[in-house]
Amino acid sequence: MPRAGLCSCWGGQVLPLLLAYICYLLLGATIFQLLEKQAEAQSRDQFQLEKLRFLENYTCLDQQALEQFVQVILEARVKGVNPKGNSTNPSNWDFGSSFFFAGTVVTTIGYGNLAPSTEAGQVFCVFYALMGIPLNVVFLNHLGTGLRAHLTTLDRWEDHPRHSQVLGLALFLTLGTLVILIFPPMFFSHVEGWSFREGFYFAFITLSTIGFGDYVVGTDPSKHYIAVYRSLAAIWILLGLAWLAVVLSLGSLLLHRCSRLWLLIRGLDLKDGADPDSDPRPQKIPISA
Amino acid sequence: MCELLSPEGPCWARGFLFLATGLLLLSYLAYLVLGTGVFWALEGSVGVGVARDMGVRMSWGAGAQSPLPRSFWSLHHLPQDIIQAYKDGTYLLDNTTSMGRWEFVGSFFFSVSTITTIGYGNLSPETMAARLFCILFALIGIPLNLVVLNRLGHLMQRGVHRCVQQLGGSWQDPARARWLAGSAALLSGLLLFLLLPPLLFSHMEGWSYVESFYFAFITLSTVGFGDYVIGMDPSRKYPLWYKNIVSLWILFGMAWLALIIKMILSLLEMPGDMCTCSLHCSKGDIQGRSWSQGQEGEHRVQSPGVTSGTFHSGYAI
Repeated sequence: MPRAGLCSCWGGQVLPLLLAYICYLLLGATIFQLLEKQAEAQSRDQFQLEKLRFLENYTCLDQQALEQFVQVILEARVKGVNPKGNSTNPSNWDFGSSFFFAGTVVTTIGYGNLAPSTEAGQVFCVFYALMGIPLNVVFLNHLGTGLRAHLTTLDRWEDHPRHSQVLGLALFLTLGTLVILIFPPMFFSHVEGWSFREGFYFAFITLSTIGFGDYVVGTDPSKHYIAVYRSLAAIWILLGLAWLAVVLSLGSLLLHRCSRLWLLIRGLDLKDGADPDSDPRPQKIPISA
Repeated sequence: MCELLSPEGPCWARGFLFLATGLLLLSYLAYLVLGTGVFWALEGSVGVGVARDMGVRMSWGAGAQSPLPRSFWSLHHLPQDIIQAYKDGTYLLDNTTSMGRWEFVGSFFFSVSTITTIGYGNLSPETMAARLFCILFALIGIPLNLVVLNRLGHLMQRGVHRCVQQLGGSWQDPARARWLAGSAALLSGLLLFLLLPPLLFSHMEGWSYVESFYFAFITLSTVGFGDYVIGMDPSRKYPLWYKNIVSLWILFGMAWLALIIKMILSLLEMPGDMCTCSLHCSKGDIQGRSWSQGQEGEHRVQSPGVTSGTFHSGYAI
């Protein structure tokens, strides 16, 4: 009966999953709080001290005037204008930067250091993302499956992977890790003046499309960047996402095979599609007698 | 089912596929360029205006208090500190900063924004330990999130299917019932997740409706700029249930939006499928792939359960 099926689906699968999910969130919340709260309190106190010291030095300024000034700076920052210095920076919205921005929208990274402030820009952004995100997904999907099919001829790979294929795969993974995850952070750290750890953190947060925006390449006004810097970064992001698509699809393929094997060993029947999300490719499960 | 990129297919089919991929790449680039142009046109003039305005205000500030020494302009120190404090998430106005951000509610919200890959960035870890933990947390949390969203979306779809079956039975026209049920699901989801919540946000946060809608969409699509974030205004009092409701909304809204995008994807993929599929598949496979018959369609396009990280989701188990 469909109703019973739906209920058992909820009870058997979704509820434990939801529970695990919420527990995971709670765990994260506690740990982040433990790690960060103290540093934040220190920052806060330090800043208050700075303000007081500033007011002491410039006695013709009162508290209110200072707060007004702070407000001005905050507004500028929110609009993406960097209030430091005399600002002969290139515009935040010149072609290269806008290209970079469009890329961050479509890949859902969304750093946020730059965001449309006009209403028209915001509305356009919504529709642009609505079309662009599926386009991006299709693109990466194709890349992923295409590359994966080239690396492993799937049907035969399950039975016994040939040495050359395994080697090719290993080479692909190592090269990819170097080219996507090791060298670019080194390069960015060097150009931006970050430590390698910060560069790696930036790379991870970008490629996972979380994109906090606390570290963004090409936004330091005191540095002079070559014209194509941000475009290079955008290309790295796209390549990195594509590479990750392949890696993840390979990983999930592997996991699928392992889980199928495990189920087979446990003697469960797999043919009738008990798991409706299963991989539809012809299952050549090695029959271990 | 088709193995779209089976290396055993005839050569010209694979050639066609490469062409299709190439065209896709081109359209992707073209799309980026289009967006670039529009953003540039819309936003370029605004930034200049703001900078000019700020300059005027600053010089007015200096002029109004005339005995100010020129050293007022050696202000390098203060703006730097302000920016740093802002980045740190320490709210700046007045002596009373807002609720310490890394309180439990704030940290929870941060965790949510991390594993859903929204990543607002209004709050981000400063200490190295927290950053390292953040990376590990995300490595496990993002797949977990995708699995959960996949499941939720699956269930939503099943609900729609059952409606379709019941309607189809009584109406004797399954195609029409399918279409109707699908549209109803789409519209009710739209109302529930994208059109009504902005009313709540604009009431609570004092944003305009357009701004709230923009925030809602940017959040649910996991782009998450962070220019608008709920609950961060120090001058407002937020009830306790507010942030929790919003977290729930994010979860279910993302599942729903993922379904919608999957639907758009299957529409985008269909022409491609039909061309290459005709080599391997029977008619039945193609017809079965209308968007509302998501169940079958899901398999073929190992398609994303969610919009976040495009690639991740396609391979969620």
